[in-house]
Amino acid sequence: MTNMTVKDGPGVMEFIFSKRLDSDVCKTLEPKILNKVKNNHTVIVFDLEKVDYISSAFLGICLAVFKKVGDAKFSIMNVAPEVKKVFKIAGFDFNMKIF
Amino acid sequence: MEIEPHRAVDDIMQKAVFAAAEFSSFDQQQTDKIVFAIYEAGFNARVKLAKMAHEETGIGRWQDKVMKNVVATQLVYEDIKDLKTVGIISHDKERGITEIASPMGPILAIIPVTNPTSTVLFKILSAIKARNPVIICPSKKAIKCCSETARICYEAAIGAGAPEDCIQWLTSVSREQTQELMAHKKLALILATGGGGLVHSAYSSGTPALGVGAGNVPVFIEKSADIPFAIEQIVMSKTFDNGTICASEQALVVEQETADMVISELEKRGAYFLSREEVPLLESVVWDNGRKSMNPDIVGRSAGVIAQKAGIRTPAETQLLVVPLDRVGDDAPLSGEILAPVLAFYTAKNFDEAVKICIDLNYFGGIGHTASIFSNDDEKINQFSLLMNAGRIVVNTPSSQGAVGGSFNTLCPSLTLGCGTGGKNITTENVTVRNLLNIQRITRRRLNLRLAQFDTSKYLDESLDARTIGRLYDNNY
Repeated sequence: MTNMTVKDGPGVMEFIFSKRLDSDVCKTLEPKILNKVKNNHTVIVFDLEKVDYISSAFLGICLAVFKKVGDAKFSIMNVAPEVKKVFKIAGFDFNMKIF
Repeated sequence: MEIEPHRAVDDIMQKAVFAAAEFSSFDQQQTDKIVFAIYEAGFNARVKLAKMAHEETGIGRWQDKVMKNVVATQLVYEDIKDLKTVGIISHDKERGITEIASPMGPILAIIPVTNPTSTVLFKILSAIKARNPVIICPSKKAIKCCSETARICYEAAIGAGAPEDCIQWLTSVSREQTQELMAHKKLALILATGGGGLVHSAYSSGTPALGVGAGNVPVFIEKSADIPFAIEQIVMSKTFDNGTICASEQALVVEQETADMVISELEKRGAYFLSREEVPLLESVVWDNGRKSMNPDIVGRSAGVIAQKAGIRTPAETQLLVVPLDRVGDDAPLSGEILAPVLAFYTAKNFDEAVKICIDLNYFGGIGHTASIFSNDDEKINQFSLLMNAGRIVVNTPSSQGAVGGSFNTLCPSLTLGCGTGGKNITTENVTVRNLLNIQRITRRRLNLRLAQFDTSKYLDESLDARTIGRLYDNNY
């Protein structure tokens, strides 16, 4: 079962993740995500509502997307409090939008 | 993860911080599984790593380095394995305080040349038990053996489910890079074991640091001591890894009435007493007058090699060079710390004079570190201990192994010995995983009953002094 579905709408690309995003899962996801994320997308949204674990590899993907599209076009939504804290410890306390 | 030469410090720290973030969500069981895997892998590699360390540095004896690796794995693991280091670790209902253990974040581990692989093993086990990623920064003279130690630990950790990059190690070392790492805003702590300059740099970096101080361990063989036993212990300790442990004995102080017996027991066990003429010969080889410290080239060399360098003829069975001295201080350089099988020797008229010599030795470059006494008189042991400025006062114990803990006493086994403020450190403890946690406290409402029943408007009355307020405050309590 995949840990990611993608909704490619007009001007918005939404990545909906689920379960554990550990290093092995992220190795598979990373090229798929970075291939889809183009510089001209209006908005990239990562939905983590169904995610209970993120690895350092997933943090690396978030940073890569952030660097590619910029802070105005990237947001991470529906994070659990535990996951939000992981982002904070990782230093994602700059302009990235994490809700 | 191996750090290639010239990798940017920001990149190293980014990886460490991401590892810290992932690690923060691990529970105790996951953490303990990783710690066990590291312990087992490190322990299984103890001989190979000891031989590598000896071959690369030329310091000490590989057989003793095996024992150091055993302390750093088996004894450290035994000490920490059952510790709670994740989440709620204690709850005191009466005081209303619940303690939560949180990781600190990335730790930079500075590794000395004298105990390279054992210090790497110790620091990795301790850091990981507290869920802190660790960056190993080895001595330039011990890069290969430290890298291999870290690699073995990292592979075991990853196999047990640890976050990627939870252990990183530098494969080339430059002063600039080390200083940049030390001062990096994302670094949580520096665990600095090494020479004074490096420890001072760590403290000056602006990052919290746990450092160590230099030792100059006086050993008082008090007249009630079991002298043959004491000398056996001392010779075993001072020759262990050719004297490279900073807690190793540096000077023996004996009372006149037992001096002959001490000398005879030392000679029986391979000690060579230098003549007055030989002392300056040894001094010129062991002491670096320009640096005002021991010559690094003799650190961890055998007594025979050092004697040969000094042009002193010693019997083939010589284990230890003993230097009779009557002064302590700059004009008697061999009264300072020498990390080699060289011991200063003082004869005192009586107990008081012996203790005064020990105080001088303790304060001549070894404040806060370790002092040692052999005695069977509790009162004398306490008198001596109260006058020493030492984080550890070891009794009837070889000081090298005694100070490190775990084998001759119940001190925490550690390769990083705090020396208190005298040694410019924040703790006198044997540093362990407990020092690598942020402890948060949930504090429930528990009223201070005296304050609650006290009329606080009385504080506004300037005519009421501390004694009057104190009486009212304690009324009916």
